[in-house]
Amino acid sequence: MMKFKTLAVMATAMTMLTSGAALAGEVVWWTPNFNEARARELATKFEQANQGIKIKLEITTTDGLPQRVLTALQSGAAPDIIDVQHAWVNGYAQNGLVVAVDDVLKDREDYIPASLDYCTWNSKLWAIPYRIETHAVIYNKGAFKDAGLDPAKPPQTWDELVAAAKTLSKGKVSGFAITGGGEVGNTIFRSLPFIWMNGGDIISADAKKAVVNQPAAVAAVKFYTDFYKNKQSPASTLENDGTANRRLFIAETVAAYQSGQFDVASIKKENPKIDIGVMPIPHPAGKPTAALLGGWSFVIPSSAKNPTEAKKFVAFLAEAPNQGALTDTFPARKSAMSLPRFSDPILTVFKEMLPYGRAVPNNKNWVQITQAYFEGIQRILLGDEDVQTAMDGAAKDIQALLDQ
Amino acid sequence: MDRNSTGLVFVLPALIVLAMLIAYPVAYTGLLSVTDRQGAFVGLTNFKAVLSARATPQAFWNTIWFVGGSIVFQVLLGTATAILLNQSFFGRGIVRSITLIPWVVPGIVAATTWAWMFHTEFGIINYMMTGSGIIPEPIGWLTNGNTVMPVLIAINVWKLFPFVAIMVLAGLQSIPNDLYEAARVDGANFWQEVRFIMIPQVRSVIVAVTLLLVIWGLNSITIIYAITRGGPANRTLITPIQIFRLAFESTQFNQAAALSVIFFAVALVIVIIYIRALASAPGEAK
Repeated sequence: MMKFKTLAVMATAMTMLTSGAALAGEVVWWTPNFNEARARELATKFEQANQGIKIKLEITTTDGLPQRVLTALQSGAAPDIIDVQHAWVNGYAQNGLVVAVDDVLKDREDYIPASLDYCTWNSKLWAIPYRIETHAVIYNKGAFKDAGLDPAKPPQTWDELVAAAKTLSKGKVSGFAITGGGEVGNTIFRSLPFIWMNGGDIISADAKKAVVNQPAAVAAVKFYTDFYKNKQSPASTLENDGTANRRLFIAETVAAYQSGQFDVASIKKENPKIDIGVMPIPHPAGKPTAALLGGWSFVIPSSAKNPTEAKKFVAFLAEAPNQGALTDTFPARKSAMSLPRFSDPILTVFKEMLPYGRAVPNNKNWVQITQAYFEGIQRILLGDEDVQTAMDGAAKDIQALLDQ
Repeated sequence: MDRNSTGLVFVLPALIVLAMLIAYPVAYTGLLSVTDRQGAFVGLTNFKAVLSARATPQAFWNTIWFVGGSIVFQVLLGTATAILLNQSFFGRGIVRSITLIPWVVPGIVAATTWAWMFHTEFGIINYMMTGSGIIPEPIGWLTNGNTVMPVLIAINVWKLFPFVAIMVLAGLQSIPNDLYEAARVDGANFWQEVRFIMIPQVRSVIVAVTLLLVIWGLNSITIIYAITRGGPANRTLITPIQIFRLAFESTQFNQAAALSVIFFAVALVIVIIYIRALASAPGEAK
């Protein structure tokens, strides 16, 4: 019987060791590696102002992060704060994995509305957005000159972009690289804005009907995939994601591609010879441009050990100067945008694109809907189906998901 | 306490641990498959949803292709390698060690390396083939619908044939020398030795290894997921990846559980048929 007691004591000790890693008053914060230095500064600042609360940083990497976060949330042994991308928030909210943070949000009108749309479900707010960004088109001014185009006057409309891509594509150079591989998000980010600016969408506003096979969407998908069909996007398009396109741009085999401002630094570092230009994403003549708003926000897991302290810290991080300090791209609050670090001229076009940024719909099956759409795009690129047939097929799959 | 119940007390802790590690996840998957996100019972709704998805039958056939194609070549190549490594020649020890490398390399490392080697623009395979004039322009190995599955099968064969080779080699080494001597007295040549002595003697090893390969093949995610993620357009989507996607990309744990239950049943049937067929095979060495 003695042994039983010893065992029981040991078991209790083990349980306490594993679950008690977070001490009272300690807030564990998962933040990606690109935030690390700035996050440490903010944590120290907060600790100095709030004696008794300790911030413990755990650094994550973006590769495989969605799976890791989901596993932690499902297991019930989650940290107190996690940095996640806006688009993941709804899945967590609908599965009851994170807590509502309406009481943390201050100055609602100071936020870019689309960033709050992302984090809202069931008319409650489930995350505090702190970083936002959209794509623009990054282009090689030298390649424009070589092809006889004026780098100071980049294409503005779809027709002009097609013409420029045609002129730029010669020899080993591809004029305009699209994505057709990697994670689904890469291609959603790059092709969905074209559908939007043409007046189409993937699903209707009331989420009742798949509209991806209607003329506006089909024309945009055709516009997008034709860059590959007409050999203006690299032969490897079907295996390329955003990173691959950046590498090809650095290798000077791609003259223009869509991306965010985070690519600029690595292009400058790896190939300083390239004279980088940035243009707004071209739009159909007479219609405004559009972009997909991306970025990061903070969630507090339902299984957080110290939710009260976590909320206090998130409220601190959400203050305009702190958002401006932490973000790798742009802050979600308009008032933070006036900070000097956002006045670099290369950022001008990216900043101009922000008001055109839109949130993806909050549908419980959104990931599967985008998967169905992406498979349609790949069928077109593979040459299996024409644009209308592929989008009809995708619409059928999406309709089944909407009817669930 | 009589002897029996004393024994039971001793094995109980181990049984409880086993039950927690094996029975609980299995039972929980079963429960998930018939409930919704809120935990309410929904009958067969999840099963209906996954079975009506266009990807499901495609993934199923891809799985058969991938597992079947891999196993045939893994066993053939592995057995041939074992027979080769069983001969005595100079540097045999080194060759045996080198053969093991693919099996020792972690799957994710191997997959990433191969993905780079097969890349259309940067890959060394296209570089060498276009450089030497074998092909006029780069081939999209991983993006062409006709080449992607064979390429993945080849990588999977490369990864696992050393395992077969080592197991069969161990079997070959346990064959008594008298059998070869008797055969030689009867005038048998090398091929006849292979056919009438080696293969029958290692048959039971090959049967066991093949069963393992079937089970591993039906569960394999690493290589395909790291290289193509099931694409392009589901050409290389196999059921385990579809389950993974449903659960961890789409957060549809209930549908993922339903698909797992279906897949478990199918895998069970395949394994039972396999064991039955071999158990009734004539002349098996026991």
